[in-house]
Amino acid sequence: MITGKSGRARPKTDSAGVVVAAFLALLAAILVWDASKITSNTIYGMGPEVTPVVIAIGLGILAVANLFDALRGNLPARESADPVAVWLILGGLALMIAIIGFGGGFIPATSALFVATSAAFGRRALLVDLAIAIVLTTLVYLAFDKLLTLSLPAGPLERLL
Amino acid sequence: MDAFAALANGMAVALQPMNLLFALIGVFLGTAVGVLPGIGPALTVALLLPVTYKLDPGGSLIMFAGIYYGGMYGGSTTAILINTPGESASMATALEGNKMAKAGRGGPALATAAIGSFVAGTLATLGLAFLAPSLVDFAVKFGPEDYFALMCVAFVTVSATFGDSPIRGLTSLFIGLTLGLVGIDKLTGQARLAFGIPELLDGVEVTTLAVGLFAIGEALYVASRRHHAEEKLEPVRGSLWMTREDWKRSWKPWLRGTMFGFPIGALPAGGAEIPTFLSYSTEKRLAAHPEEFGKGAIEGVAGPEAANNASAAGTLVPLLTLGLPTSATAAMMLAGFQQYGLNPGPLLFAERPELVWGLIASLFIANVMLLVLNLPLVGLWVKLLAIPQPWLYAGILVFATMGTIAAKPSVIELSMLAAFGVLGFLMRRFDYPIAPVVVGLILGPIAEAQLRRALAISLGDPMVLVQSWASVILLTIAAIALIAPFALKGLGRFKASDD
Amino acid sequence: MLRLSTPILGAIAAIATALTPASPQAQQLELKIMAPAAPGGGWDQTARAMQQALTASGIARSVQVTNVAGAGGSVGIAQFVNSAKGDGNQMMVNGFVMVGALIMNKSQVTLDQVTPIARLTEEVQVIVVPASSPIKDAKDLADAIKADIGKVRFAGGSAGGVDHVMAALFANTIGADASKVNYIPFSGGGESLAAILGAKVTAGISGLSEYDGQIKSGKLRAIGVSSPKRIPGIDIPTFKEQGIDLVLANWRSVVAPPGITAEQRKSLTATVEKMTKSQAWQDILKQKGWDDAYLGDEEFAKFLKSENERVTAVLKSVGLVKS
Repeated sequence: MITGKSGRARPKTDSAGVVVAAFLALLAAILVWDASKITSNTIYGMGPEVTPVVIAIGLGILAVANLFDALRGNLPARESADPVAVWLILGGLALMIAIIGFGGGFIPATSALFVATSAAFGRRALLVDLAIAIVLTTLVYLAFDKLLTLSLPAGPLERLL
Repeated sequence: MDAFAALANGMAVALQPMNLLFALIGVFLGTAVGVLPGIGPALTVALLLPVTYKLDPGGSLIMFAGIYYGGMYGGSTTAILINTPGESASMATALEGNKMAKAGRGGPALATAAIGSFVAGTLATLGLAFLAPSLVDFAVKFGPEDYFALMCVAFVTVSATFGDSPIRGLTSLFIGLTLGLVGIDKLTGQARLAFGIPELLDGVEVTTLAVGLFAIGEALYVASRRHHAEEKLEPVRGSLWMTREDWKRSWKPWLRGTMFGFPIGALPAGGAEIPTFLSYSTEKRLAAHPEEFGKGAIEGVAGPEAANNASAAGTLVPLLTLGLPTSATAAMMLAGFQQYGLNPGPLLFAERPELVWGLIASLFIANVMLLVLNLPLVGLWVKLLAIPQPWLYAGILVFATMGTIAAKPSVIELSMLAAFGVLGFLMRRFDYPIAPVVVGLILGPIAEAQLRRALAISLGDPMVLVQSWASVILLTIAAIALIAPFALKGLGRFKASDD
Repeated sequence: MLRLSTPILGAIAAIATALTPASPQAQQLELKIMAPAAPGGGWDQTARAMQQALTASGIARSVQVTNVAGAGGSVGIAQFVNSAKGDGNQMMVNGFVMVGALIMNKSQVTLDQVTPIARLTEEVQVIVVPASSPIKDAKDLADAIKADIGKVRFAGGSAGGVDHVMAALFANTIGADASKVNYIPFSGGGESLAAILGAKVTAGISGLSEYDGQIKSGKLRAIGVSSPKRIPGIDIPTFKEQGIDLVLANWRSVVAPPGITAEQRKSLTATVEKMTKSQAWQDILKQKGWDDAYLGDEEFAKFLKSENERVTAVLKSVGLVKS
């Protein structure tokens, strides 16, 4: 390739691409490190430490290839992203995990996720959304718990049902 | 025994009005539970099995078949509508199906999935009725080395999901392969990449990865881009039903999907995923408009859905003829038989023909019921997309995490789900294809285990890999599929310069 | 439409009765049983069978089954020991496989920490060869192992599971080196059965019920079962009567949390014992083809201890666990 595909005159290094390459190289290193700790007791055929090394070699090659792409600025163009929306949803997920982790139960956990996501998509009527979320998740909880006898995490609220 | 007469007899039983009703209830319940992501057909059957206990054997088996097919179809519905494959076998469906739904063609996508499932299910059930005994002899001769060769074919065809750049596709695939290493090594019981965390010992759950990458990743991505242009989802653009053109483009993929699904499903370690990938890549290669793939090509829904359903009927071949439960669902089927003190196996056809043929007839009926129930519902399902975007995505996230919460409500599993969501978001943002990650997670461990089994059996001699005809043929196919695109490209250039 | 309405009602009634376990003279007992596995597996089925038997026979008012899946029960037992400590109304299902899984996964929690309640069921193990195999009985197999141990390929379930332990025990018993056994684990009985039928391996190991149909139809030849005595109605010699001292069973049991009082333990044991004698439980055993192997608390505790020691020794001899 003599001229860039996009026909750009001066290729710019894409820092995100460099991070990807570094991530792949790190992954390869972890694989080799982990495989080195396996003590093989396989007498017949291939032990469990071979495949990780093979995959690590592949990852290493791909790290180099991605690095070249990044240095040449060969990455597809991307538009700006709204960090607030992303953080809102991630916050909702974190809150859900925390509530379940501390035994708060299914209904509050998934309601939190619902409200956070709908806020991320621009809704500001928090109380209305909260009401919708609680009704929805309560119905789901009842359907699972009573009809399918599949137990979802129960907190103080669920025990009242 | 005269198979036709026996089948007709079974049909007569299954067609009684009461049994038809059981089939309808079964299909309804199966679909209702099967749409929940993370709850695949096996778990659906497990949950609903007690419902069938109280019925007589005939009615119970029929309801059972209905639940089974309903559960299978339910997974495709969420794959198409909200990009959340209910189980790994409907992942290929999500690739094109969700793009169709976003373009207002959710109706035709659901319809081709339902009709394709019906066609494939019917053909495969016929195959089950008439080919089972000869197919099973072939299936048990398929050894680890042959499976490894089959995996090689599957790996080569994965490139169909790569998108524009092979480097980016391979990067995704290798991330998937790395995830596939996590957990206890099947052959030696040693932990790999588990870092002393007990939850990681069982490895990465395919549904956790798929739901994280597809559903959560998608929600994050759409939310991050909302300020550019409010994406307006139109539930129906054009016809709600399949047009003439859609039919024309669907029927061949249905038949080809069946050809992949049934025989591979009949192999004891064949599974449903490999035929769906094979079907997807075949349709992409054969399509008149390959450029539509990735943007919502109906062939990419029709083929994998047919393959998925045909493989389900295929798993019944070893179950009924040998008593081999080769999938989680087949194991549940076995439990269904055992409630009547029956053990499927070589003797079942001879000892209780009326039940075997009754089951096969029930599968036909369940297939018809699935169509009867789901085609009218297509309009209703598609309306779901008209829910305002904030509530739609909030609902999708609740729905998507629910399967994981129900199956494994641990902080670590849920954190993995969220982390895969972030991975899915970043991969979308930096334009890495998503599907190869899941493909790598599914195929990698199978390929490794079969290769190592073959080598253990041969005491380390690699020549075992080319000792059977099946493996030689499959490896040749893989080699041709690998080289052909380059060769064709070269030929095309040669021709072009010739003109 | 009268002809249709009866089946509708029938179906609805069937669903309703299946979903609401009702009993007229139910007591106030409310129990929680953990299945340390995903829904659908053997431990889950056992837990749900207990749920069914306990409520149907009116021994308990309600029984809730929870599933905590992961790593052969390692995840479940850790949670059980930590969160249910001292609770006399909770139990956990476990079995032979957990003994090996805890050792192999280097679990922090061990079976010494739980309070044994009862052994419930067990299944006998069988070794089979393809019908075309020159191996006719256990002695032939032993000779083949002594001649070249690597060439005798065993197919069975997961590494460190009951099938694997059995292969190692067989080698140990005949004086061969268990660490050289060529054991090839397959996922699920179906896959290993195919490998045996296709004669890819020399012999296969599994629970008897799984291979029963193939043995009866003559596609597989059973060369021995691991029970101490011949099983009535089954025409397969035991290893013991063939001069090989190999007795093993895949058992399932139920345990209580640590730190419960002696009275709590006594009452749980009584509850479980009453359940195992109930008609509902016996019906389930028959329906599922499980063998009743009830063993009460003290005896079961002793049994559990000896199995633990035996499995640890075997896993060490195979090299799965570092000594």
